[in-house]
Amino acid sequence: MPIEKSDLLQGTLDMLILKIVALGPVHGYGISLRIRQISREVLHVQQGSLYPALHRLEKRGWLQAEWGASDKGRQAKFYKLSLKGQKQLESEESNWNRLSGAVANIMQTAQ
Amino acid sequence: MSWWKSILPKRASDAQMDSELRFHIEELTDENIAAGMTPEEARRSAMLEFGGRERFKEEVRDVYRIRILDAAVANLKSAFRFIQKSPTFSITVILTLALAIGANSAVFSAIDAILLRPLPFPDADQLMRVDQYNPKTSSPLHLVAPVRLEDWNRLNSTFQALTGYYSEDVSESTGPLPERITRAWVSPRFLEVWAVSPMLGREFTPDEETLHGPAAALISDGFWRRRFNADPNIVGRNLRLDGHLTPIVGVMPPSFSFPDRETDLWCPVPAGLSYGPARLNNWFTVIGRLQPGVTLAQARANLATVQAQLGRQFPKTDGELSVGVEPLKETTIGDSRRSLWLLFGSVTLLLFIACINVVALLLSRSAQRQHEISVRFSLGAPRGALIVQLLTETFLLALIGSGLGLFLAAAASGIFRSLAAQLPRVEEIHLDARIVLYSLACSVVVTLLSGLVPAIRGTRRNLSASLAQSGRSQVSGRNPLQWLLVGIQVALAVTLLAGAGLLLRSFQQLGRVSPGFDPTHILTFQLSMNWGETGDMKKLRQFTDSILETLRATPGVEAEAISVGVPGVPFRYQTELKLMEGRADTEPKIVAENRFVSASYFATMRIPLLAGEVCRETDGPPTVVVNRAFANAYFPGAPVLGHHVQSMNLGYSGAAEIIGISGDARETGLDHLPVPTAYWCAPIAEPGTYFLVRTRNAPMTMAETIRRQIHDTEPQRSVYDFAPLEQHFSDALAEGRLRTILLTFFAATALSLACIGLYGTLSYSVNVRQREVGLRLALGALRGQIIRQFLWQGLAVCILGCLAGWALAWVSTRLMAGLLYGVSPNDVPTLSAVIFLVLAVAAIASLIPAIRAARVEPMHVLRDE
Repeated sequence: MPIEKSDLLQGTLDMLILKIVALGPVHGYGISLRIRQISREVLHVQQGSLYPALHRLEKRGWLQAEWGASDKGRQAKFYKLSLKGQKQLESEESNWNRLSGAVANIMQTAQ
Repeated sequence: MSWWKSILPKRASDAQMDSELRFHIEELTDENIAAGMTPEEARRSAMLEFGGRERFKEEVRDVYRIRILDAAVANLKSAFRFIQKSPTFSITVILTLALAIGANSAVFSAIDAILLRPLPFPDADQLMRVDQYNPKTSSPLHLVAPVRLEDWNRLNSTFQALTGYYSEDVSESTGPLPERITRAWVSPRFLEVWAVSPMLGREFTPDEETLHGPAAALISDGFWRRRFNADPNIVGRNLRLDGHLTPIVGVMPPSFSFPDRETDLWCPVPAGLSYGPARLNNWFTVIGRLQPGVTLAQARANLATVQAQLGRQFPKTDGELSVGVEPLKETTIGDSRRSLWLLFGSVTLLLFIACINVVALLLSRSAQRQHEISVRFSLGAPRGALIVQLLTETFLLALIGSGLGLFLAAAASGIFRSLAAQLPRVEEIHLDARIVLYSLACSVVVTLLSGLVPAIRGTRRNLSASLAQSGRSQVSGRNPLQWLLVGIQVALAVTLLAGAGLLLRSFQQLGRVSPGFDPTHILTFQLSMNWGETGDMKKLRQFTDSILETLRATPGVEAEAISVGVPGVPFRYQTELKLMEGRADTEPKIVAENRFVSASYFATMRIPLLAGEVCRETDGPPTVVVNRAFANAYFPGAPVLGHHVQSMNLGYSGAAEIIGISGDARETGLDHLPVPTAYWCAPIAEPGTYFLVRTRNAPMTMAETIRRQIHDTEPQRSVYDFAPLEQHFSDALAEGRLRTILLTFFAATALSLACIGLYGTLSYSVNVRQREVGLRLALGALRGQIIRQFLWQGLAVCILGCLAGWALAWVSTRLMAGLLYGVSPNDVPTLSAVIFLVLAVAAIASLIPAIRAARVEPMHVLRDE
C-alpha cells in the first residue's frame, strides 16, 4: 500500500529529496517519479508537499535551481545539491542510519 | 545573473511558479497518454492528480513569506510562559535591570534636561551672555555699565538686541503684612531679546521706559497664582513697592522665569540710567540675542571691534576693558556639566555590571535548559529561531525591568532637587516621552549585551547533541567565561568604589579644613532694601547703625556685623588695586579679592588681627584691612601699614589707607585657599548685604526674636533668609554632595551586584561538582580543604579583578581631578581601602557556597548515581 505524505515526517521527505537530487540535477516531476520508482511504488509524494518542500530547501540554501530544457525540450526548473545541502544530507543520512538501526534492533530483539 | 537579483529577496515569481507547475502537469499528461489514455482524458486526470493549482501556489508562497508577526507573538507567548515557570530567576533579572536601567534613565533625564535640551526660550541658541571684563585681573567683574550697554546696542552689527537686568529684593505692602518679593529691573528691549510676550496684559510702553515715566510692573505666573489666586482681572491693580504705587500691566507665562524662578516681577529701567559715574557704575547682567545665521566667533569679533572703538573714545574707563560673549546655556549650566557626566559614566558602568550579572544568570539558566533546547533542535527548529526565542525572553525581562525602572526615573527630579536645589535647571527635570524612549533603547541594548552570548552558547549544536545523550551531566567545574565575567564585575565595582571613595575623602578633608574664622553659632539674614536708598548715604548709615544697635541690645547676641557676601561661600569680587605711593613696573600688579565689612566683622567672625587696627568707622578718609596673604604676596618683608590703595574698578571710592593686617580666612569658599584680600571698611548696608550675628545658643533659635526686634524698629522692611552660616556652606557644597551621595550609592550597588554574581557563579560551580566533592570526602578529604578550595576559587578571581580594577581606577580617576579636594586622584590609602572592602565582602560571598560544598553528604550524593 502506498504511503501518503501525511505518514511521512517532514524531515524524512526533505532527506529523500536531497538524496534524489544528489544523484544529479533533476526537476520536480523527475523527483516524484524517482521516489515512486526507487521505493517500488511504496512512497507516493503528493505534489502539494513536494513543491513547498523544494522551495523551502532552496530557500535554506541546500538546493540550487536553474532553468533548462527537459528531455522532451520543455522548459523545466532543475534542482541540484549545493555544498551546504551536501553536508546536510550527510548528517541526516547518518542520523537516519542510527535511528533506523536502533529501531530495527529493538524490533528484532523484542520479537 | 544581473547584480540586482542577488540583492532583492529570493522569491519565486508567480510566472516562474506557474511554468514550473505547468511543466509537471504536461509531463503527467504525457505519462497518462503513454499509459493509453486519450489526450483529453490524460490532461484531466493529470490536473485532478495535481489538485487545486492556486492552493499550491499559496503554499509555496508561504515558504517565502517571513511571518514576522506570527513568530514574534509566538516567541512572546513562550517568553511569558518561561517567566511564569521560573519566577525567582525572572524576578532577580527584572529587579537587577530595573535598578540599573532606572538609575541610568534617572541620570539621563537630568543630563537631558540640563545639558542637552535648549533653554526654554524661542531660538534659545541665539541667546548670549555678554560680559565686560578687565583681562589683567584674573577674576573678571562681569557686570556692565548701563551706558556701555546702550553703546553696544548702538554700534554692534551682529545682535538683534542686547538687554540688561538687575535683581533686588523689595517690600510689597498692599497685603496685611509687608512681603519680601524679588524684582528684576530690566532695560529696554528685555522682552524683545527673550522673544516672549506677556500671557495677560501688555508689554512696557516706551513711555514707561523713560526717566520719570509712569511706573509699571510685569508679574510672574508664580506670583500671580500665589498672591492673587490667578485673578484674570489683575491687570491695572496697584502694588505698593517700597512705598511706591506701581500698576501691574501684565502677567508673564509660567515658562518664563528669568533671571531665576525666584523672580516675582519685572520693572523697566530707563536706558542708560546710572547711580554714579556713568561709565564706572557697573550693575547690569547683559543678555543678547544674535541675528539669525551669525556665529559666536563673528559676534565676539564684532563686539571686540565695538569695544576697541569705545576704548579710543573713553581711554580712561574703557581702554582696558574686553567683552566676553558666551552662549547663555553654557553660563547657566556652569560647572554642573562635569558632575553630571561623571554620574552618567558611573551609572553606565553600573548598567554594564548589571548586564554582566544577567549574562551569568542566563548562562547558568541555559545549562539547565539544555534538555529543552536539544529537544527543540531534534524537532527541526533552526538555530536562528531558537536564538531569537531566547533573545525574546531576555528582551521581555529587560522590558519589564525598564518599565519598573521608569518609576525610579520619575522620582529623579525629586531626588536631584532634594540633594542639590542649586543645580541649574533642576526644575526642568521630568519624565517625558524622550526618557521613556531612552529606557526602551536601554532595554534593547541590554538585551543584546546580556542575551546574545548566552543565546549563542546555549544553542551550540554539538553541546545540545552531546547533552541529549547523557542525562547525567559531567559539566566541568571550570567555566572560564563565567569566571571572566565575575572578574570584570569586580574590576568595574572597584573602579566605581574608588571614585566614590575619593569623593568621600574630599568631603572628609573639607570638614577638617580650618577656615580661618569660626563658623559655628553664626546666624545670617538679610533685610529688604533697594538701590534707590543708596542715594542718601547719611540716612543709610543711620539705618545700619540702628539695626546693629538693636541687635547688640538683643539678649543672646554676642556680636553682630555686616558684610557683602557670606564668608566661606563662593563669591568673587576681584579687582586690581592701584598703590598710591607708586609701584615699580617690574613688580606684580596688585590683584585682590574685595570684601565690604563693618569694623565688628573681625570680632564677630573671630578673624585675628595680626597688626595695626580694625577699620575706623568714621566719616574721615576710607580705610582698609588686608589679610596676611595680601601682605606676603605684595609686600614681602616690607612694611604694609600706612600705604594707600585705590580700586581700579571702584574708582569713585577714593584712596584708602591700609591700617591693619588680619589673619587669612577662606573667604571665597572652604575649598579654596585664602587669596589676597582687602577688607574695605563699609559700615553701611546695601541691597544684598548680609547681617551676621554670633549667638550664644543654636543660631536658629534666635531667628524669631531678631525678626520681632527689627520689625519694631523698621516695620516697613521684611527680614528674610534666616540661616545658620554652616547651612550656607552646605548649600555651597550641594553639587559636590549630590555627586558624592549618588556615586556612593551606585558604587555600593555595583559591589552588591558583583558579589551576587560571585555568589551565583560559585554556587553553580559547587552544585555541578557535588559528586566530585562527595567522592573526595568519601576518600578521606577534610572538610576544611574543601572550604579552602572553593573559597580560593572565588577569591582568586576577585584578586585578579581587583588588580584590573586598580589599573582602571588609576586611569579613570584622573578625570575627577578637578572635583577632588585635598586628595590626589591616585590616593593609595583610598584605593587600598576599596580593595580591602571588596575582598572582605567577596570573602563572605564565597564563604557561603564554600561551606555548603563542604556539607555535602558523600553517601547521599553517591547514592544518587
